[in-house]
Amino acid sequence: MKIHIPENKKISPFLVLFLIHANQIGVGVLGFQRPISKEAGYDGWISILIIAVAIHIIMWLILKMCSTVDGDIMSVHEFVFGKWISKILGIFVILYLCLTIVAILRSYIEIIQVWMFPSLQTFWFSLVFFILILYLVTGGFRVITGAAFFSVIIPVYILFIFLLVLPYADFTNLLPIFDHSFTDLLKGAYTMTYAFAGFEAILFFYPFIKEPIKAKKWAHMGLLLTVAIHLYLALIAFAYFPREQLQKNIWPTITMWKIVQMPFVERFEYIGIANWCLIILPNICIPLWASGRIAKQIFGIRQKTSVAVLALFCLAAVSLFSTRTSIQKYVSFAGTAGFYFNFVYVPILFIAVLIARRVKKNGPSS
Amino acid sequence: MKKLFWRRKKKNNDNRDKRLEDLLQKSKDFRSVSYKNPKTQISFTLSFIETLVDEKILHESALPKLLEEKFHRIEEVKDILPLSEVEITNDKDQIEQKLLNGSVLLTIDGDKETYCIFSAQKEIVRNVTLPEVEFSVLGPKEAFVESLKHNLNLIRRRLPMKELITEKLTVGNLSQTCVAILYIEGIVDMENVNTVRQRIKEIEFDEISDNSYILQMISDNSHSLFPQLLDSERPDRVAATLTEGKVAILVDGSPHALIAPTTLVECFSSFEDYLLNWTMASFIRLIRLFAISFSVLATPLYVATISYHYELIPEDLLGTLVASRGAIPFPPILEALFLELTIELLREAGARLPTKVGQTIGIVGGIVIGTASVEAGLTSNVLLIIIALAALASFTTPVYRIGNTIRLIRFPILIFAELWGLLGIFICLCFLMAHLLRLTSLGRPYLEPLYPPRQYDLRDSILRLPFTALYRRPQYLRPKRPMRFNERDLKKKKDIDE
Repeated sequence: MKIHIPENKKISPFLVLFLIHANQIGVGVLGFQRPISKEAGYDGWISILIIAVAIHIIMWLILKMCSTVDGDIMSVHEFVFGKWISKILGIFVILYLCLTIVAILRSYIEIIQVWMFPSLQTFWFSLVFFILILYLVTGGFRVITGAAFFSVIIPVYILFIFLLVLPYADFTNLLPIFDHSFTDLLKGAYTMTYAFAGFEAILFFYPFIKEPIKAKKWAHMGLLLTVAIHLYLALIAFAYFPREQLQKNIWPTITMWKIVQMPFVERFEYIGIANWCLIILPNICIPLWASGRIAKQIFGIRQKTSVAVLALFCLAAVSLFSTRTSIQKYVSFAGTAGFYFNFVYVPILFIAVLIARRVKKNGPSS
Repeated sequence: MKKLFWRRKKKNNDNRDKRLEDLLQKSKDFRSVSYKNPKTQISFTLSFIETLVDEKILHESALPKLLEEKFHRIEEVKDILPLSEVEITNDKDQIEQKLLNGSVLLTIDGDKETYCIFSAQKEIVRNVTLPEVEFSVLGPKEAFVESLKHNLNLIRRRLPMKELITEKLTVGNLSQTCVAILYIEGIVDMENVNTVRQRIKEIEFDEISDNSYILQMISDNSHSLFPQLLDSERPDRVAATLTEGKVAILVDGSPHALIAPTTLVECFSSFEDYLLNWTMASFIRLIRLFAISFSVLATPLYVATISYHYELIPEDLLGTLVASRGAIPFPPILEALFLELTIELLREAGARLPTKVGQTIGIVGGIVIGTASVEAGLTSNVLLIIIALAALASFTTPVYRIGNTIRLIRFPILIFAELWGLLGIFICLCFLMAHLLRLTSLGRPYLEPLYPPRQYDLRDSILRLPFTALYRRPQYLRPKRPMRFNERDLKKKKDIDE
């Protein structure tokens, strides 16, 4: 099932940095500080470092797998399991991708409803948003990469806004260091898997990279950038909030914006949340594009059709959730699914690829 | 059988000849005059369309020779006439076309098969004048005129090189408009030339009045508001872009040239940027960027903050706003739409009127309507300032078409701002971004060098770096010779006290 991709539809290797990074930064970054400090206290930043090492290893596994079969996840599946099982697994991958799309969009809409417009109708907003997404996705992968690129470049100014919080921060909050057990740190790291999920996207667009060997470096750089931003936000949040207060904030990143005051703007969170729609754009574009592509490979339909159908499906799913608890449950389910996909399924697949390669190598010679 | 066939064909030809003559006879400006050469006693007829022919050429150059020199056969006429374009032909199509382009048809009585046709075209061309749309304080002051010949002359004078190629095509079923494609061989990517040629050949329309027709017909996405080909009235700008490796399209009867491919960034650069020192030019480009974002976003931001997010505004500023809006009976969106429409009316009225009246209308309209509506309590002072500034800012665009684009894209953003506040503005901007990402110009990405990011092209985009830094031609054009000059040839900078 080797599919040829025309050279002018491929992207330069260094753009992989933006794709990976943009797909990782989403809604998770707005509220990751609370769960991590619940488990690991203000040693949470060590948990971030632990999970950083883990995702770099997983990224290495993914890149190794993709370069072994020189293709995307469907090629990997076919390489290991053959044609039919790979199709069934493909359906599960589509479901997983739709799960993440719905989780991201619904939690973003929840944030808007809590912070900006309590009366915002989920359906209408998601309808407009999905039209935007479809407009981007039908433009092809290069357009999606462009959206990822701008969603990293344009909101850079927000990072500097957090510096305005520093006068109110007290870094002695972080002391004493290492007052949590290693198990606590690991538990903290586990809570981070949701915020860091998204780097697996390279499994889907690997064949679209011009020189995949050169892209490896950039993929790891993308991960590093994500880790750095999370570390930066975690340290500032830990310094800004006393421990008890942090537990009362679901979205500490947004709460920190409230203190920001400029001569012409107060309450920066409005601008921040509105701008976040640009940031979650690739979070939805890339999975939707990927699932549409997999559906095309499995069912042999046009990607335009598959993407539109999947978008309708996700639109319906997004509109179903209405209460905070149901969203919470759903998002944590999506988080668990992400954890199992990235940290359990990918290593298993990697081992399977190794075995399959050994078997295939030995096969013809013996 | 063969003979019959031949005869029928001949008859057809005769009929056609007759039809041409009959049709022409209906026009009062068609002339057919017979003369007799006093030396050889041969009588000949000149047929021409009086209004197209330069009488001076006919009477001072052609006729004296025809009457004084000896000739017996039509072939000999070619040697007598002191004109550059003289042809002996019997191709009826060619004759018809040339006759309608201002040539004179010469026939000798007794020889009905061969014709001599010589060009005596009268050209009514206005003088080369100042550029009006792309005026610049510094630099050359000539602009294109309506004649293709003159325009080609203006460009060729700036690029005296054999590699400058002009291809000619004819488009328009009725108008038979001449279109020239210009490029420099050895620099240009021939793929671009082929695309342009192909697209122009595929044009199906009866009359092509201006290059704007061509622009709309060969654009990659003809529904888009953004111009995907740049039009310029400055020969200097066209010559400069040709050396970069672009393709220029000139249309007979149009005082503008089209430049392709282009990018969004180029739409915001003026030729004067290259005439100024690079720091100044970069500063002006940044000002323009600010002006354009202000012009697009100012009113929507006003509506969004006043309608939804007044908490966003610091207390002191809010006081000023509340004071100015206190007695206004309308919601912010109506107030904004009312003023925006007023400005649009003024612009449109100003554009349709003669220059002097237009200016007066602009000033009178602007001041009188603005002040009166504030005094009447229909709009607030602050919004009036914002809208006036936004309109002013939108005039900073150096390319007329992109200025129009900016005029229009404000309105959807305004409506989304009313709908969802800041969120609506951002959603709308995302739509804009998606649209721009999808756009291409001759298949080249429109947002280049911003995306795909190219660091060399960035040197002449938002900023304009000095000429020593611009040693590469724009990469998105894929020029055959990518270097303008070798950077190593530059003189080394001296160290202190050397």
